[in-house]
Formats: sequence, structure tokens, C-alpha cells
Amino acid sequence: MKHPLPSRKFFATILMGLSIGLCAGQARALTVYTAGPGGLIKKLAAGFEAKTGIKVDVFQATTGKVMARLEAEAANPRADILISASWDSAQELDRRGMLLAYQSPNAATVPDAFKSGTYVAQGISALGIVWNTASGTGEPADWSDLTASRYKDKVTMPDPALSGASLDLLLGLQAAQGEGAWKLLQALKDNGLVVSGPNAQALTPVLQGAKAAVFGAVDYVSYASVQKGESIKVIFPSSGTVIAPRPMMIMKAARAPEEARRFVDYVLSEEGQRAVADAWLMPARQDVAALRPLFKDLKLLPQAATQPGAREAALKRFSALFGTH
Amino acid sequence: MKHTSVLAALTVAALAVLVALPVAFIVLQAVFPHFGEGSLRSAFGGWPALLSDPAIPGLVAGTLRLGVEVAAVAACIGIPLGVLRGACAVPRAGLWDLLFLVPFLMPPYIAALSWIMALQPGGYLEQCTGLHLGGLLFSEAGVALVMGLNTFPLVYYAVSRSVAASGGRLAQAARVCGATPWQALWRVTLPLALPAVAASLLLAFTLAIEEYGVPAALGPQAGVAVLTTAIERRLSDWPIDLPGSAMLSLLLVALALAAYALQRAGMAGRNFETTTGKPAPVVQGTLGPWRLPVVLLFGLAAALACGVPLASMLATASTRTLSGGLRPGNFTLENFSSLFAAGGEAWHALSTSLALAGGTALLAGALGFMAAWCAAGRRVRGAALIDMLALTPAALPGVVVGVGLILAWNQPFWPWTPYGSWAILVLSYACLLVPYPVRYVGAALRQIGPGLEAAARVHGASAWQGLRRVALPLAMPSLAAAMLMVFAVASRELVTSLLLAPAGVQTVSIYVWRQFEQGSVGMGMAMASVAALASLALMLGGLTLQKRALG
Repeated sequence: MKHPLPSRKFFATILMGLSIGLCAGQARALTVYTAGPGGLIKKLAAGFEAKTGIKVDVFQATTGKVMARLEAEAANPRADILISASWDSAQELDRRGMLLAYQSPNAATVPDAFKSGTYVAQGISALGIVWNTASGTGEPADWSDLTASRYKDKVTMPDPALSGASLDLLLGLQAAQGEGAWKLLQALKDNGLVVSGPNAQALTPVLQGAKAAVFGAVDYVSYASVQKGESIKVIFPSSGTVIAPRPMMIMKAARAPEEARRFVDYVLSEEGQRAVADAWLMPARQDVAALRPLFKDLKLLPQAATQPGAREAALKRFSALFGTH
Repeated sequence: MKHTSVLAALTVAALAVLVALPVAFIVLQAVFPHFGEGSLRSAFGGWPALLSDPAIPGLVAGTLRLGVEVAAVAACIGIPLGVLRGACAVPRAGLWDLLFLVPFLMPPYIAALSWIMALQPGGYLEQCTGLHLGGLLFSEAGVALVMGLNTFPLVYYAVSRSVAASGGRLAQAARVCGATPWQALWRVTLPLALPAVAASLLLAFTLAIEEYGVPAALGPQAGVAVLTTAIERRLSDWPIDLPGSAMLSLLLVALALAAYALQRAGMAGRNFETTTGKPAPVVQGTLGPWRLPVVLLFGLAAALACGVPLASMLATASTRTLSGGLRPGNFTLENFSSLFAAGGEAWHALSTSLALAGGTALLAGALGFMAAWCAAGRRVRGAALIDMLALTPAALPGVVVGVGLILAWNQPFWPWTPYGSWAILVLSYACLLVPYPVRYVGAALRQIGPGLEAAARVHGASAWQGLRRVALPLAMPSLAAAMLMVFAVASRELVTSLLLAPAGVQTVSIYVWRQFEQGSVGMGMAMASVAALASLALMLGGLTLQKRALG
């Protein structure tokens, strides 16, 4: 049995925590709650610790799990920094007054659309069509191409209720085309589109060739798969797509606010933004190069108006159309 | 009797901390929608909206249907195999027992994914034979079959242990009195195994309605919508709906308790005592000409339940890209080698998971045994309450137990809290898994006559001694089987681990999930296979040790 191994480590961690707590004045460990990708936050945490000597404790899960933990802990908050994959979550937490105001000096070259007084983008992803190049179905160029008969029963889509970015796409299409967006979805449904789970679950059948394309996949995971040699291609539709900035914020209840500010500075430093770029995301800073097309080069759908209830209404209509609960 | 009530009180206290506390906080969250923020305003505010939601009746019906179908599949496979294993000398019995543990070692989500990759169009089956079974897999029957194949070992173990413990000798008596083998089976062996059958089917049903992984992976394409996926949706993305998920969870618990009440009513007033203390050799029938067909039957079940998903897992783990398929140039051991090259992270996750699972098996085993002993008609007040409390977690989705534990243990008033350390993971696993030992040991204890412990007490043994020297050894085979299952499930539990893991602690399931999330399906599958094999090896070692100690 390997019993003693981890527990010894845990006790050491607890002791370390105690001793750090006793030594007033010394920098405190920082607690970061973050949505994926896991490789990125590991790199950022290691880089930050190497630079400042401050240890970073990371809790990484889906945006949903991170938020659920945050809500359940509301009576006794533990997170210093939150990095989410959903811009809305930051706006809502800000409205509730749960965020600490901070403008990092390193955020100077982050476009105004991706920062506010209390939160700033860590990086940006975009949605597109991911198409299996070996499927023999012909390359799609726009969303509506997927209603063609050659994609019959061959298209998947992440569930907007499980993926905030997918819901953003829905709202973007609705803003651009009005009722036309719902006609498009109806046509896709008639063509056998399957709504399945969060992003990764929609992608797997396309990798194996059971399906030919994902309607609205998050791009960075797909780029990583292409890098590994999977025969898929990320296509940004000609009529436009949406981007999903990933907000980073300091909680008002942070126990280590000073360290948290330094962490935000680090993520927005050139080194931090290069790590973001290496994870196949677009860096938030405009002066750091990306490994992939930037949002400046993409045709974007108009920003959806954010009147209250619009998201719920769109979700409801979507679940009624596809019978998801 | 005094000692008995002390033992019972201790058990109740332990169950209260482990089970009642998180459940109570979920109830509070369901009643007070703003409980998470520490406010009690607008009590019952969420209920009218929930009860008037038109989707709910469909979800409840879908959940019940799936639960019954899965229990039926598990019964169809588990009961015949279990009776054969218990009543007859099946060749290579130990091997089958071991193979049927494998489904427990695979996270349901991974098992479902493996089935998808094996059977979907373009999957491994089509790559090998040109045929695919996508139509069957992505249907309600497909979901029930996959889940039934994952749960039938529950029934198999319970039935085989029970039949072996009781049926053989009495069935032989029936034969001596002129019964045919079939009559002996129908009139003696099966009725005596009824508590085990009922308890394990109840467990299969509650686990099926609580299961999230398989319906999440197969459900959307199969058109199957159940309560657990609806609960998970409420916690999946912004905005988070804690009260909504808490209310739906209470609905699930109500379903499970209704099933429990049915089972209890069905069992009431019957007597299954067969172990009376007279020394009796284990009597097992010989198979004669049926030897080969029986072995083929066991082989078929093993091939379906663990062969297919395991092969699919290994195929994915040992190919470079999914889109490359099973072509010679695409095979690689890279996934396995990089698993153990990357800074020892995989090793650390593996040892953490195994240690946590070991601790959970001990804790859940000890508590489960005590709870079953208290509940099994020992005239302890509140026996039914203990029994019910110990079943409740089986119907709670992991994510809800996780939220309940955070709500319970993250309150500022505790002088010390397990939250934020590995202890919270042991608590959550033990809470989720304590129903296994309770069901298994309970069924075994019901077959032990009360005279045995009474005899021990008359001869001067204390209640504790009677418990330790009489009840425990007699229930040991069932307890050991249950503890093995607890170990297996705990070593790969995902949902609560993901939610509760303290910063910096990584278990096998979290590691696998992160690999999937980053698109490294191959590495994820490699880790899942390695972890399953490691747990299997450990369990095998444990079994051998136990056999040596007993015998």
C-alpha cells in the first residue's frame, strides 16, 4: 500500500500553511480558481512562482464547476483570483459587487472591449466549424453549408446550456440574422444535427469519423488536436463568428489581494501572454504574437444586445427546438 | 443491551456526520434559495417554478424507466450467473469473480465513451468488420444495456455469495426428499437468495437513477433525458442554479426511498435464516455435460462487460490519433511513456487515488458493517432510520453530495474542517459508497439466525465480542466483496473529486478528465487503463492476503 506517501505530503502542506500563516509579513499563497486549459494554468503558476516566490494553489475545472464551488463557498470564500471562460460571469459578479477594482499597468495594450475596472481578458478563443478532412464530404465555408444533404446526419453541436461560448454563438447568429438564425437551426435539425454535451464530447465523434463536422466548436482544443496530427481543420465561417474572451478577476474577499494583483500583472506580462498564445488562445495583449488567426483577421458577428433575460429566452427556445432538458 | 445501544448510538453519530449532515445542507439549500450566501430569505421560493416546469414529469418518467430497465438487465445477467457460481462448481470461478470487478474500475463516463468509440459509425468495430452498431448504441435500449453491463456484477456478487452460504445444503435436502434439480432451484435456492436479490436490485436501481456519466455521454444522441443530466445542466454553466439542482436531487432521493419502501414491504414478515451454527460443509453441485455451455456463458458476459470497453480503451490509448484509426502506422506507446515521463504527475495522481480508495474502503466497510448490524433486526431503536440513512447517498448524484459537503464544511463556525484537505475526498467517497457494504452485509446478516450471537452472549461474551467473533466472521465474505467494490469505485470517482479536490491534489479521474478536456483522448485513456490495472492488481493482492489469513 502506498498510504503514507500522499498523506505525508498533505501534512507537510498543512504544516507549511500553518508556518506561513504564523510568519506575518511573508507573502501568502495565492488561490486561483480557473476554467481550462489545464496546461496553461500550470505553466502560469510555475512561472509566477519562479518570478515572485509566491506559491499558487490552483483549482481547475469547467466554468460550471468553478462557479458552483464559488457559490457554495459564498459564506466563507476561498478564492483570490477567478479565471472563467464566460464573459457574462464576470459582468454578473461585478454587478453583485464581488470583484476588487484593479487596472494592471500591463493591460495597456489590451483592447478596451476586453477590460473593465474590475476584470480583464486573460486570452480569447473563437468559435468555428471543425471539419474532418478525411470525411469526404467537401469543405464547408459557412454555417449554412452544413444544411446540405452531403452533411446529412453528419453534424454535431455542443449544447449551449453546457457551453457558454456556444450560447454566445446562438445569440450572435440571432443578432445578425434575426429569425433566419432559427430557420438555420431548424434546417440543421432536419438534416440530422445532434446536440451533444460540452465541447470535447461534440468533437470526439468527428475525430473518429462518425460525424463530419462540429457546428460551433471552441477553436483552441481543435488546434491542439491538429498539432497532434488529427485530420481535422478549423474553419471560420464566411458570414462571421463569435469570440469568447476569458475574463480574469480578483475577488473582493481575496485573502491575498496584493499577491493577486501581482499575479494579474504576471499573466498580462509578455511572458504570461506568450504562455497564453502557446495554449492556442489569442493573447489579450495586442503586442504579443499568436500561433493562429487573431480576431482582427476574423469576420465577427454583431455583438448581441445584453438585455436581461435574452440568454434564458434563447436557451429555452433552443431546448424546445432540440428537445434537450 | 446497554452495550448494544452504545454501539448503535456511535453508528448513528457516524452516519449523521457522514450522510445526514451534507443531506441536511442540501435540504436547506432547496428550501432557502439564498442559503449559500448565508441568508434565509424567500423560503420555498423556487418550488412553484420547479413544480410547474412542464419538463419535470417527463424527466421523472424517463429516470424511473431507465432505472427499471437497468435493474432488469442486471437481473437477467446477474441472477443466472450468480446462482450458477454459488450453487455449482463453475470452472475458474475466481477468474470470473475478478473479471466481473473490472466494470467497477472503469469510470462510467469512460466506459460509455469506450462503447461509443467501439460501436459508432467509423468506430473500431466498423474498422475491423465493416459493421457498426450505432443504431442500437444510441437508443434507450443501448443506454440501458451499457449501464446494465456496468451494474450486473452487483447482483452477481450478492446472489452468488448468498446462494453459496445457504442454498446448497438445503437444496440437497430437497433433492434427498425427491425434488428434481429444477424444483430445488425454484423452491429452495432462489427463494432463499431473495434478500440478496432484492437488496442488490434495489442498489442497481438507485445507482442507475443516480448515474450521470452514461446518460451524459449517450443520452443526447439516444434521446434519453434523466434527472441527473438535468441537475448537472443547472451546475454546468453560468448562471449556476444551486437551489434548482438541490430541489431536483430531493426528487431523486424521494424516488429511491419509495423503491426502498417497496422492497422493505415485500421482504417484511419473511424469514431467511439458514446459518444456524451447525457445522455444514459447502455443498456445490457438479455441472456434468453443462460444463462447456456454462463456461461459454460466463465468457460471453465477461467479454461484453469488460472485454469490449477495455479493448476499446487500450486501442485508443495505443494509437497516435483517433482519426488515424487502427492502421499499423498509427500504433504507438507514446501515450503510455509520456504518462510517466511528465514530472511524475501521473504517479502522484495514481498513488493519491489508491490511498484515498483504501482509506474509503476501510471507513465505509467499518461503518457499513455496523449500520447493517444495527439495522438487521437487532431490536435497536431506529433500525429503519439507520437503514434508510445508509441508503440515501446511493440516490444522490455525486455533484449534489459535493455541493452539500461544501455547504456543510465550509461554514466559518467550525473550529476545524476537512474542507480544503484530502480528508474531504474520503468523506465524500465514503458518503457516496456506504450503501454498498450496508446492502451486502445486511443481506448476509439476515441469513444468520439470532441464536448464534445469543449463544455467545449467554457464554459470557460482551456485545462487542459477539459482534466481532460471531457476526463479523460470518458476514466477512459479503463485507469483503462490498469493500472491494468500494475500493474500485472510489479509485476512479470523478464528479465529487472534481468539485472538492483541494488545490494541488489530483486523483486519477481528475487527471484523465483534464487530458480529455485538452483534447488528449489517447493520454486520458492510457491513464484510465493503467489505473484500472493497478487497482485490479492491488485488489488481487488483497484477496490473496485475505484468503491466506482465513485459511
